[in-house]
Amino acid sequence: MINALRAELLKMRTMPGVWVTFGLALPLTVLGILIVFASAGGFSGHTFYFVTSLSQRRRLLGAGYFGIEILAPIIGVLCITSEYRQKTITGSLVLVPIRSRLLLAKVITTAVWSIFIALLGLVAIAAVALPWNAALGGVTSQVTDQIGAVIPGLLLSAVLLGLFGLGFGTLVKNQVAAILLTIGGTLILEGILIALAKAIFHYDLNWLPNGAGAALAGDIARGFGGGGSGDGGGANAFRLLTWWQGGLVLLAWGLGPLTLGYFTTFRRDVT
Amino acid sequence: MTPGTTTRGLPIEINGLSKHFGPVLAVDNLSFTVEPGRVTGFLGPNGSGKTTTLRMLLGLVHPSSGTATIAGQSYQNLPNPTSSVGAVLEATSFHPARRARTHLRMAARAGGHDEKRADEVLGLVGLSGDAKRKIGGFSMGMRQRLELATALIGDPDVLILDEPSNGLDPQGIAWLRDFMRYFASEGRTVLVSSHLLSEMAQTIDDAVIVSFGQLKAQGTLEEITKGITGIVMRARSPEADRLAGVLAQAGIAFRRITHDEIAMDGVTPEQVGPLLASNQIVLYELAQEGGDLESVFLSLTAGLGFGDLADAAPTPPTPPTPPDQTP
Repeated sequence: MINALRAELLKMRTMPGVWVTFGLALPLTVLGILIVFASAGGFSGHTFYFVTSLSQRRRLLGAGYFGIEILAPIIGVLCITSEYRQKTITGSLVLVPIRSRLLLAKVITTAVWSIFIALLGLVAIAAVALPWNAALGGVTSQVTDQIGAVIPGLLLSAVLLGLFGLGFGTLVKNQVAAILLTIGGTLILEGILIALAKAIFHYDLNWLPNGAGAALAGDIARGFGGGGSGDGGGANAFRLLTWWQGGLVLLAWGLGPLTLGYFTTFRRDVT
Repeated sequence: MTPGTTTRGLPIEINGLSKHFGPVLAVDNLSFTVEPGRVTGFLGPNGSGKTTTLRMLLGLVHPSSGTATIAGQSYQNLPNPTSSVGAVLEATSFHPARRARTHLRMAARAGGHDEKRADEVLGLVGLSGDAKRKIGGFSMGMRQRLELATALIGDPDVLILDEPSNGLDPQGIAWLRDFMRYFASEGRTVLVSSHLLSEMAQTIDDAVIVSFGQLKAQGTLEEITKGITGIVMRARSPEADRLAGVLAQAGIAFRRITHDEIAMDGVTPEQVGPLLASNQIVLYELAQEGGDLESVFLSLTAGLGFGDLADAAPTPPTPPTPPDQTP
């Protein structure tokens, strides 16, 4: 198992697409920081304002989630679909003939790279968000106080979103289709479904992948109806799952397609 | 490695192997064995089930029935598969952005081998100078060599090659032939599939001939070519009448072709030559016709794959070191 894992880690490290994805983590996190500061002002008249409420502070600390929700699934998709796109799956299975072992190595590799993306986002938070917040007049310790509430969940959500991408990649095999399905599904379709469910049925559709990930990552709730449960929320506020419910739901979103893909696609004859 | 100093090959056993792809029966109750220390040719026309059989042997394709084992175990169950078996398969590819050495380091890691093996096998296949080049820029022949290097990363006991000559230039083909012979001379097992019969005839010790997924013949090259009907010895002599008398006296069936030419059925040069010499018969020509691998193959496969023979490349003598590879 260790041999397969070491080979997979090297394989990922030598794929240009992975580095492009990794490189996008920084600008996307900075974009997330900009959004938090821009929305923190509210009606204060300032373009950017320091974070004050609990929810804002958590959102600033979890601004890397903006990159994670896009990039971690892509990492998972690349990890498996590149084998089919580049037709290297035959060689990989000759080297690691036990397929469950190869897939498990890919699960761990995806997790490692997803954590790298989350960590890169945290570097951006430390280097950009905290000094900027202080410059705007905020208190740094009020943000860093929330590290325990946000960062473990953020890292775990990165791992599970990566697994979600790997699962769909295993199931679909086609790289473009898998990326469209995961990213398009979480960023566009999920938003539409949430809005429709809220408008028509007054129901918080909070068990879809992105919502589950946001709940797991410290109730950061960005993009879900303007406020998470951390703010208390009004009557129209979108209620996220609890962090552990979010974790379980996101795990199911990863393991479901992965298991299905393993038994339907990955175990098929390689001709 | 010194030829003949080790006997480390493993036998391959194919037993009642069948594979259906939907309604198509690609491999039909195939059984044969491959012995260590010999180069065994796995011959058959395109679409005769060779690749499917090799892929079943390597666990890439699930058999509908039967078994394909190496030393009694399936490939997946071998304690260290890449130390036991190296495989060069058709339609295998590489990530174009990866460098040759990195690809081999990855293979070494996957098999639990020392990453230094990457440089050793690159040298073995003559790609040392291209170690840091991206594989996307490799020629077909270089990719084939890299594939062979990957197969050798674990210094395996068994080498399985599926159409390995594809993309190789004549020098490369000659080098590959020498390599297979060398590998087998160490007691290791070589199973090579090909439709290039002229090339195979120079390389293999044993042959397994398949057609429509079924076994048509198996044995040593000599046994197979000897067993075929239609082998004819043709002799041309100014003493054709006396030659006919000697043959009749020896009980050899013959036909008079022209005034100075006689055809003999079911005999070999080793049988006829001494007989004619002892009777001091002058010969202008003594030739065997129709007893070569190609004739056997065409006879057993009903002529299928004949067109492939046009692809057979001549193989002039080459030095033992791998030729320089530049795309």
